[in-house]
Amino acid sequence: MKITMRLMFVMLYISIFVVIMAGILAMLFLHLHPHFWWEEIPVFSAVYGFVGCVVIIIASKALGHQWLQKEEDYYEKH
Amino acid sequence: MIEWFHPGFIYLFGAFLVPLLKGKEKLKQAYILLLPALAFVNLVLMSKGVFLSEGKTWILTFMGYELTLGRIDRLSMVFAYVFVIASFCMFLYSIHIKEDWQHVAALIYIGSTLGVVFAGDLFTLFFFWEIMAWASLFIIWYGKTKSASGAGFRYIMVHSFGGVSLLAGVLIHLQNGGSLAFESFTSMWPQTLAQATNLDYVMNNCLGVYLIFLAFIINAAVPPLGAWLADAYPEASVTGAIFLTAFTTKSAIYVLIRGFPGVDILIWLGAIMALYGVVFAVLENDIRRLLAYHIISQVGYMVAGVGMGVFGTAAGEMAINGASAHAFCHILYKAVLFMGMGAVIEVTGRRKLTELGGIYKYMPITFWLYMIGAFSISGFPLFNGFISKTMVVHSSAMWDYSTIWLMLELASVGTFLHTGLKLPWGVWFARDTPVCEAREPPWNMLAAMGITAFLCTLLGVYPKILYDILPYPVHYEPFAAGHVIAMSQLLVFTFVAFWLLRGKLHGTPTITLDTDWFYRIPGKKVIKFCEGPLMVFTSTINREVMRMPDFFRALPLKTQTEMENRIDNAFHVRLPDLLNFEKIYNTIKKAKDKELSYNLIYILIAMLLLLLFVLFGMVMK
Repeated sequence: MKITMRLMFVMLYISIFVVIMAGILAMLFLHLHPHFWWEEIPVFSAVYGFVGCVVIIIASKALGHQWLQKEEDYYEKH
Repeated sequence: MIEWFHPGFIYLFGAFLVPLLKGKEKLKQAYILLLPALAFVNLVLMSKGVFLSEGKTWILTFMGYELTLGRIDRLSMVFAYVFVIASFCMFLYSIHIKEDWQHVAALIYIGSTLGVVFAGDLFTLFFFWEIMAWASLFIIWYGKTKSASGAGFRYIMVHSFGGVSLLAGVLIHLQNGGSLAFESFTSMWPQTLAQATNLDYVMNNCLGVYLIFLAFIINAAVPPLGAWLADAYPEASVTGAIFLTAFTTKSAIYVLIRGFPGVDILIWLGAIMALYGVVFAVLENDIRRLLAYHIISQVGYMVAGVGMGVFGTAAGEMAINGASAHAFCHILYKAVLFMGMGAVIEVTGRRKLTELGGIYKYMPITFWLYMIGAFSISGFPLFNGFISKTMVVHSSAMWDYSTIWLMLELASVGTFLHTGLKLPWGVWFARDTPVCEAREPPWNMLAAMGITAFLCTLLGVYPKILYDILPYPVHYEPFAAGHVIAMSQLLVFTFVAFWLLRGKLHGTPTITLDTDWFYRIPGKKVIKFCEGPLMVFTSTINREVMRMPDFFRALPLKTQTEMENRIDNAFHVRLPDLLNFEKIYNTIKKAKDKELSYNLIYILIAMLLLLLFVLFGMVMK
């Protein structure tokens, strides 16, 4: 299959629309049994996914730059 | 008719025929693939009750001991099934390798893992545990590079420590009144924090259990003891690494389920581990090391599952089922992922994100098969990670552990971000023009990936096959609307965040320090000290000693005789008195807790010997 930017974006927008609508409709019409209060927010997972991803990238990069990342021959040099 | 034939023995004994088939390539390949098939038939016969059926044991009497080589129950069967099925796919992937001994090492590795799975007593467990460590070492060394040799050395150092710890633990456990049978140790695990930190209590009751626990979590690569995994696995050959991904960590999960279900420290260790792997994966440039960090992350779910697996509770049974199911699924999708990246290394010879990109048009089949593995590990609905990972997460909700729930969900985000987005993006796309020529890998590699990817999807679409063989009856509906919607939202929006921040996710030509730093840098300093100052010191002493005869010869005869007498006296009377081992031994003997101190000394000696052995090895290199 040929992957084009256009195809990818179309699929992405459809997915975003579907998952958000599904979340809202499920809250309105289905009787779900969430364990935690935040699961009742229809778009909680979407927000958590987005924020979580950003936090993971920024926090890990900061940790790496400040401390953990070294040049490739670090173990040979030290 | 024979009562039972151990499936592990098919691999262990079958291995030694491989070198005899040298020169007959086709026959040898067929033979190697036949062994997992035979083992699979054996397992099916066992579950049908033809050979030893579930709930039975097979005991071998050896030197007065009764060794339980076969303990067949639902738990051992589910792990045995996945090990055997995965091994077939892995051998198919590596069947073109001409080095017989690499196949032999892999066969012994898998055979001994099955030995661990069916072991019903602690000595049998230890026996196969050690074989497993050494066989896997040779798989790493078959990477045949300088870094593979070093990583292998560090790998066996850590695992020897784990092995000694297991043996010491078993012996102390027996001395403290424990039984030789490999059953749950939770009755001997301290119930309160006060007990757990009370030295007297620990020494008299649970030191052995602690050491066994330590050995298990070393093999499960729990941080900070898990750096060996990401250090060693990516250094193996393309085909060798596939075997490594499955057996050591998942057999560790098996023994943890067996020995320490419901030990609550595992919940936190597991959740931290799940995120630890994710953080390191962001920083990693080596494509297989990135995947190795995701083994740590995924095993974190299983470790947390074991921690929540309290006997006799609905949430506990859900957690144990979840941990077992996730081990099953993980072995399959991780094999696909490593096979995909292995294929890239095989055809391009490059292993770093910074050196790859834009090669999608050369290897689309590999890409899509890899993506099935990536969707599976990320837990997309209709792929196998979804039906197993969510069980562990669901159990944390049943226990009402909100922080654990949030941590595990966050780890899911990180997993998709790296294995599903950053890695395939960086390897196959990211650049407009390909960095190098590439092609699809040999047919057997593609076939192995295809079969494994098919299994991932099959279990994802029809989870009943797996749920039916789990240790406890499954009361879980993976495709409940809530689960599917939440997971889809999580993953779709992870993609959105990735796309916005993709510029930050290019690989950088760096390495990342892990806890192996502690034995790589200070360890090296010790060697340097020995080679430098210590050598100068000793050679000075040597020189001075060599001068002594000249000095004595210059003295008058009478003084010489007197000196000789004095030296004689010093060496034959005073020194032995000072170094009177019997005296030292007696002092220890009088110590408060006699039995225990013997053991401690034996362990100390064993560890010292080990250390000397390792130092010797490093100096020789």
